[in-house]
Amino acid sequence: MIFLFTSIILFVFTGLAQLVFKGNFKARIVTFFSGIATTLGLIPTTIALFKIQTLTSTIGFNKLIGNVNVVLDPLSAIFVLIILVVGFLAIIYSYKYLEPYKKDLSTHYFFLGIFIPSMLLVVLVQNILMFLICWEIMSLSSFFLLLFENEKKEVRQSAINYFITMQIGALLLFCGFILLNLKTGSLNFTDFHGQVSNTIFILFLIGFGIKAGFVPLHTWLPKAHPIAPSHVSALMSGVMIKTGIYGILRILTFIEIPSLSTSYTILLIGVISAFFGILYATAQRNYKKMLAYSSIENIGLITISLGVAMLGLCYKNSIMTGFGFLGVFAHILNHAIFKSLLFLTAGSIDSKVHTKDCEKLGGLIKSMPYTANLFLAGSVAICALPPFNGFISEIFIYLGMLNGLDSRNHFLFPILMLIMGILAFVGAMALITFTNMFSTIFLGNPRTEKAQEVNEDSPKSMLIPMGILATFALLMGIFPSFLMPLFLSPCSMFLKTPLIVPNQILTNISIFNLILLALTSTLLIIRVLLLKNKVVFKHKTWGCGYQNMNTKIQYSNYSFSRPFLGFLTPLFIRQLDFKQVKELFPQKTHFKSKIIDIFEFYIVKPIVEFDKLVISKFYWIQSGNIQKYLLYGLIFLLITIVMVVKL
Amino acid sequence: MIKFLLLLVLPFLFIGVINKTKAVISGRKGASIFQPYFDFFKLIKKGLVISETTSFIFQTAPTINLACVIMAAILICIFHFQGDFILFAYILALGKFFSIIAAMDTGSSFEGMGASREASYTSLVEPASFIIISSICAIGKVYSFESLAKILSFNNKVWVLISVLAIFALFSMILIEGSRTPVDDPTTHLELTMIHEAMILDNAGIDLGIILYSNALKMLLFAGLIASILTPHSILGTIILIFTVAVIIGFIESVSARLRLTHIIEYTFILITVALIIMALSLLNLYGGLI
Repeated sequence: MIFLFTSIILFVFTGLAQLVFKGNFKARIVTFFSGIATTLGLIPTTIALFKIQTLTSTIGFNKLIGNVNVVLDPLSAIFVLIILVVGFLAIIYSYKYLEPYKKDLSTHYFFLGIFIPSMLLVVLVQNILMFLICWEIMSLSSFFLLLFENEKKEVRQSAINYFITMQIGALLLFCGFILLNLKTGSLNFTDFHGQVSNTIFILFLIGFGIKAGFVPLHTWLPKAHPIAPSHVSALMSGVMIKTGIYGILRILTFIEIPSLSTSYTILLIGVISAFFGILYATAQRNYKKMLAYSSIENIGLITISLGVAMLGLCYKNSIMTGFGFLGVFAHILNHAIFKSLLFLTAGSIDSKVHTKDCEKLGGLIKSMPYTANLFLAGSVAICALPPFNGFISEIFIYLGMLNGLDSRNHFLFPILMLIMGILAFVGAMALITFTNMFSTIFLGNPRTEKAQEVNEDSPKSMLIPMGILATFALLMGIFPSFLMPLFLSPCSMFLKTPLIVPNQILTNISIFNLILLALTSTLLIIRVLLLKNKVVFKHKTWGCGYQNMNTKIQYSNYSFSRPFLGFLTPLFIRQLDFKQVKELFPQKTHFKSKIIDIFEFYIVKPIVEFDKLVISKFYWIQSGNIQKYLLYGLIFLLITIVMVVKL
Repeated sequence: MIKFLLLLVLPFLFIGVINKTKAVISGRKGASIFQPYFDFFKLIKKGLVISETTSFIFQTAPTINLACVIMAAILICIFHFQGDFILFAYILALGKFFSIIAAMDTGSSFEGMGASREASYTSLVEPASFIIISSICAIGKVYSFESLAKILSFNNKVWVLISVLAIFALFSMILIEGSRTPVDDPTTHLELTMIHEAMILDNAGIDLGIILYSNALKMLLFAGLIASILTPHSILGTIILIFTVAVIIGFIESVSARLRLTHIIEYTFILITVALIIMALSLLNLYGGLI
């Protein structure tokens, strides 16, 4: 346990060192000490996960906060694992990524040095006040990290949107915790068992859901992730939104058997988030916004798995519960790995072409082969295709639902079937999204000079973290049985009976993946041998005899997704600004299309407009006049004195 | 094992029977049923023309697709475990992923058009197939392809309805995934009307041979699934059924035209309707059968 504390202190030290040391030395300090901190932190984590132990230590504070239990149980340990691993790799990446900006990086590394330990503390402390303090520090430090390019208006607006949304979420968390405190009179999490009523649970669900990115509370995500520097996006998307899920899981440990309505609510929220997340992802041009919406989809998948697990607890179907929780933790780990990989590769592209619009790119696989292959690995992993790790968590979710069909319950059966169908459809949409994005960015011909002028790949210090993540993704997909303890031990916190390990299925999948890789390599070798003495020459792509081929002829992002999105029209709105050519002869015209997020347009925007209308009546209070403010202070003092005297 | 080796050898014969059926119905004599084998060996002997725009993906994708379809065949014949139909769908999706990006790799609008259409029209097959197979598994109590073999032994009158609907659904999946009329015309030479053919316009030589083989093998896999419903335990019965399916496909190809592109989605929705009916039947079966 002392290792974890040292690790936290070392991270904070790297942040504070920014204020003391100068120049190049700073970045080296950050990397070096973060490395030591990560290694130290991983030691108790692996012990907690592989041996299913709980490490506790208590710090005494003053009378107000009381004794704070810092507990590393298997539930916290899996989150500590992803925070440390992704955090360290993001820090290595950031060294060369932030260099071209020619800015002073001290502020950024200071807040990075505070952000990572605050996330660690959020998943470790078990005291209301300390939890809320660390939660707020996490939100605030990520707000400042978002503001790296604060000279741009869009960055400032999205960051303030994020800040306000997080404060609303924290407000709901405050309410939930206050209610719990009123009920039990204690600040410690251990006293809350069985005290969580439905109202309190809903407050926590919405509060943590705002952080996790459930639809319709997700509107901050697609704004915040594209504007952040890529390693911050990777950290936020791969790790920070999981702390929302951690919160919900922690509240669930206080509940013995969840109620049926709670479980169905969580399942419904998961389905809606998964469906709308991937639907909007398919329509995006900005590749980072697409990845942000894809994160919303994956959080939906984790929530579906959690809903299935809770239904298993309600109906006392232990296999369903087991697979449900396995799916939750497996997907938390897998998503952290491949989403960070995707965001880091997106940053690598951005640092070379300086645009986030994929319609301006193309043909980058020739100039940036490593980045392209890593993005391909990330895409195959996120579409849950074998032999990568995404498939493992997806099959756990499906098996959970399949085993739930046994329950002999006439309501559960059709719901689980329909959700399985929706999950398969979500998977098909993910396939369309990522083939679309990969093809538009890397394949074909460069569409503008920006893409044409790229002549070398990113530096090694950016490629190595991505390579490590891709290797993890592949190894976890081929040898999932080795990592079973990682997923199993958190499940043991929720299940009363020990989990029956699905070893047979995992071994079968391992053998399958190994045969797949062997078969592919053999067939490729056979192909090379067959082509040995044949004539192979290069020519232009066949154009049906058309002479004037240019790069505009190839399919674009919009055209690829249009047939598919055409039959899903009522679910999202495409604003078209199209001047039709009505005359006989060619004319100048224009075409603009914009996707509107229906939740933002129909729910958030009217609420914000209404609030602005109401608050605009009170603008006269903030006149900017110092004399008036002094007057307000004086009036407040008079009222206070009168009230004290009266009492 | 024998079933697996048969599946590896028969795909071109399957295509040959379809083409022969179409020829006979049109009043022609037609090529011999072994003609696709001769075409394949001719293609292997040829060289390749590779587009300058493409990268390594274009050259490796047909092979990866072939490996995926062969692994799907292994899954049906050799491996059986809980949830294997999910792995079946996802391994075929891996093959589709690579064939789509290989098509986009050429930087041509024809391939892009084919890729985008193929991706959208086959997206609805997976949900329907999951619902159908898991409904059947819920009755058969085994969550894998083995329960397909058990349909004939279901009691009550459910098995007639379920087997008819499941065979109809699997047959529609052959037409959709194998790019046959009425979803896609394999003999068209107008690029604007192509779906799967447009994706492979730039492939030549051995790549083209591999793609034709994997397409035929995919169709054969679904025909094999139909056979496992009707004649689960005899190999001769499987072969006869597979070629009956081929003749029926040839017949349907001769008498129908390709649907308008906007109507193909509606055709795919038939699969989802059938899936929901099978789900309802399975639910009724949980409550004591239909009568």
